[in-house]
Amino acid sequence: MSSNAKKIIKTKKFIKYFAVAQGNAVLSFLDGLGSAAAMALETFKWILQGAVNPKNTVAQMVEVGWASFPIIMLTSFFTGMVLALQVGSATSNLFNEPVYVGTITGFSLVIELGPVLTAVVVTGRVGAAITAELGTMKVTEQLDALYTLGTNPVKYLAVPRFLACFFMLPLLTALANIIGVYGGLVVTVTSWDVTPAMYWNEVLDFMVIRTFFHGFIKSFFFALIIAIVSCHKGFTTEGGAEGVGKYTTSSVMLSMVLILISDYFLTSFLVALNIK
Amino acid sequence: MIKVRGLNKSFGKKQVLTDVNIDVYDGETLVIIGPSGTGKSILLKNIVGLIKPTAGSIIIDDTEITSAPKKDIREIQRKIGYVFQEAALFDSLTVEDNVAFGLRTLTKLGEDEIKQRVVNCLNMVGLKNVERLKPPSLSGGMKKRVGLARAIAYQPKYIFYDEPTTGLDPIMTDVISDLIINLRQYLKSTSVVVTHDMNSAYKVADRIIMLYKSKAIFTGTPQETKNTDNEIVRQFISGSSKGPIETDRTFNEMEEL
Repeated sequence: MSSNAKKIIKTKKFIKYFAVAQGNAVLSFLDGLGSAAAMALETFKWILQGAVNPKNTVAQMVEVGWASFPIIMLTSFFTGMVLALQVGSATSNLFNEPVYVGTITGFSLVIELGPVLTAVVVTGRVGAAITAELGTMKVTEQLDALYTLGTNPVKYLAVPRFLACFFMLPLLTALANIIGVYGGLVVTVTSWDVTPAMYWNEVLDFMVIRTFFHGFIKSFFFALIIAIVSCHKGFTTEGGAEGVGKYTTSSVMLSMVLILISDYFLTSFLVALNIK
Repeated sequence: MIKVRGLNKSFGKKQVLTDVNIDVYDGETLVIIGPSGTGKSILLKNIVGLIKPTAGSIIIDDTEITSAPKKDIREIQRKIGYVFQEAALFDSLTVEDNVAFGLRTLTKLGEDEIKQRVVNCLNMVGLKNVERLKPPSLSGGMKKRVGLARAIAYQPKYIFYDEPTTGLDPIMTDVISDLIINLRQYLKSTSVVVTHDMNSAYKVADRIIMLYKSKAIFTGTPQETKNTDNEIVRQFISGSSKGPIETDRTFNEMEEL
């Protein structure tokens, strides 16, 4: 066989291998998407049927909401501070005085940074914990044990976590907005010699209730993403302790990517509806 | 009675169970033995509904569970207790809540009665004053016994044991074997035990079934098992590395060196 013919066979083999690998990756992605959708639908079904365990749900709300509050407070306060510092510095360079520091800080926080940063922090803290916990339960047969004891794992484990994320993330977002604006106030007053009254005027003058709803509505969608991805990754974990690590990392990465991508489309949609 | 007919299970291209036919008679203890990876645990999980078979039927007390409606499945679950290989206790719950779990979900008992039942079941498996502990603070043997207490708490008709003695010292292994015998006498339950431990198998079994290469190749009483001419069974029960059972190739090659 000539070297040219060998080359052609080799290229054909490579193309076949590449096509099969890509095909498998697409199938695996669609399979994952399908099973995540099925789990989400089952969760909605249980919620609509009222199959909610109040004790577990409250415990999860405390875990998602109360336990995340300190880190949300810290990150949003410093985000507000750095925003005020950057805006003041930029406007001082452009206009020789810091102007609209409160307006830009407030708007940035309420419509964008508050919801997105809160969702990202909750993904890292709560989403990772949910996947790791459910994943460990899966690999140690605790999910099977639930089934043999007459309990549906989605009803018992996913429903409380889903509700906790859905109600606590918007609440944390609202608090993050307020705390961030206060962080901006501290820097504006101390670094840019703007009075608190002037700062609050700048924050509130252009802000309407729709502005607040813009970020608030987005946080509900981010909560859905965190809850569905983290629970689904946990329920499908395999491969022992190593698998738990891998699925937890993949859960956090996927949630963050989906939050950032969906943020663009949600913003476009809300702006089109004049919720801004 | 449990009837398994023509059971097949495959994961992708890997055939794990091939045309398995088993009867489990009321009140007996059936032990399933066989080398690792021959589908013993998969067989148990198929019977209790944790895994759906690729083909075949499983009939528990006249209910075909592979196609039964949810209401009937729940009724069957009430009749089944499952002791997991690594106990599978819920880490976030105390021992008391673990043992009470099935009582709360599968029965209509009041809390006082449940608490009393939990204490009785823990006593039955030789544990006292552990109700407030959480599973991570228990030893391996204690975990197995709590798992056993959880499985028997709602007094199921059938108890499935998935390698109940694996990882335990010889004395604790014998304690667990005695427990299986005592529970059968006390609860009048039917038991299916998957094990590698032949001493335990001879002690608890009424009948022994051996799975090899995804098929059921032998059925007999403990005495018949000891005296069998089947070379595969003889090799397995004697624990010899030489014989018809294919062991790891690398291991054999190393031996030849």
